[in-house]
Amino acid sequence: MVKHYEFFVMTKDEYYTEYIGDKVKELVADSGVQNGIVSVVTAHTNCSIMVTEPLDCILSDLDVLLHRLVNDDDEYSHAHFLPTYGRTSANAYGHLRSILVGNSTVLSLVNGKMTMGEAQEIVFMEFDGPQSRKIFVDIIGE
Amino acid sequence: MVIDMHAFPGFFEEICENPEKIEFRREQYFLYKQHVWPLSLFITQLDAAGIDKAVLSAEDVTTRAGGVIVSNEEVKKLVDMYPDRLIGFAGVDPRREDAAEVLEKAFTELEMKGLKLSPAMQYFMPGDPLMKPLYEICLKYNKPILFEAGMTWVKNSPSKYSNPLNFEDVAIEYPELRMCLGHFGWPWTRETAMLILKYPNLYADTALLYFDSPKQFFQTTFNDQLGEYWIDRMLYDKVMFGSTYPRIEQKRMVKATEALNLRPRQRAMVMGENALRFMGMEV
Repeated sequence: MVKHYEFFVMTKDEYYTEYIGDKVKELVADSGVQNGIVSVVTAHTNCSIMVTEPLDCILSDLDVLLHRLVNDDDEYSHAHFLPTYGRTSANAYGHLRSILVGNSTVLSLVNGKMTMGEAQEIVFMEFDGPQSRKIFVDIIGE
Repeated sequence: MVIDMHAFPGFFEEICENPEKIEFRREQYFLYKQHVWPLSLFITQLDAAGIDKAVLSAEDVTTRAGGVIVSNEEVKKLVDMYPDRLIGFAGVDPRREDAAEVLEKAFTELEMKGLKLSPAMQYFMPGDPLMKPLYEICLKYNKPILFEAGMTWVKNSPSKYSNPLNFEDVAIEYPELRMCLGHFGWPWTRETAMLILKYPNLYADTALLYFDSPKQFFQTTFNDQLGEYWIDRMLYDKVMFGSTYPRIEQKRMVKATEALNLRPRQRAMVMGENALRFMGMEV
């Protein structure tokens, strides 16, 4: 059985993180699937989904690292007008941070519950907000 | 106080109930993939960009394209939802037979704070006698005009109508009529600088982005092609911040102004105080 869900996160700043584990658990419970896997994927290319320990200090260190690795004002080829959009893209730094962190995670589902380590939490990361961001959750199993 | 003089409101879900209207706006405004989102998200985006108020303008291309892109009533609806954050400018197609009537209603019943016109999109020369009734209504109600000047991305919109030099005769004939040359009249930025230097009633906004990132384009336009200190030393009371949202996020255009070599007093004027004076809202 495959159950597909979508939900939105309204991000509040350019760089923004939100724990979404509880929302995913709600969807798992709704699905009725007992054993399998849970896939969580962001629909966008300048935000990320990842798993880490839900501590402000960890997220702060990640913030510092991503800004050290990817500067806002470097000379990016992506900074130009896009005729098919009618807009200028100037968000290369968001795309690059998203590529570094990744856009998805997969977790185990056992006896109706997501199996995670005690220190693990699912985190949504925004790199070009504020925006309305869509997240796909697919629950695959029996 | 930071005011964005140049934002387009066509894709807020509160005025996007009709899918055909959304497609018409995408086509007419050359914004093919623009998403629709709630006005509350726009307010959050203003907060994130450090912008206190934004001017939202109606757009009327009835005689050229057979419709209104965003009506004055729709702008009024949006402004009424966040009256402390949003300022409404009317739009009217000057070639409509009832243009004067539409504008009178916008200034009286709908309480619009100014008029937005696009010579290139609406096919008129700023000095055409056709415009006289609209200019006189603006003078009667002490309302300014925001003109789309220079290049517009919109298709079938010739720049011959919007060359900044076309506005000089109007500035001379109507010295009390406050007018803003949107987009700094790009690519005729030197001509725009000349006009706002010479004519007390002419202003320009920073809603220009045609190449590169916003910050790089401001560096090229204002520091390399124009004099690095021209705004700081002479034009500081005539230039207003504008973003051209949603062609670019406002946060990036605010950041781009860091490229302008402005002292704190002049920066405060460019970012908001000049806009208040332009709109007759000076406190």
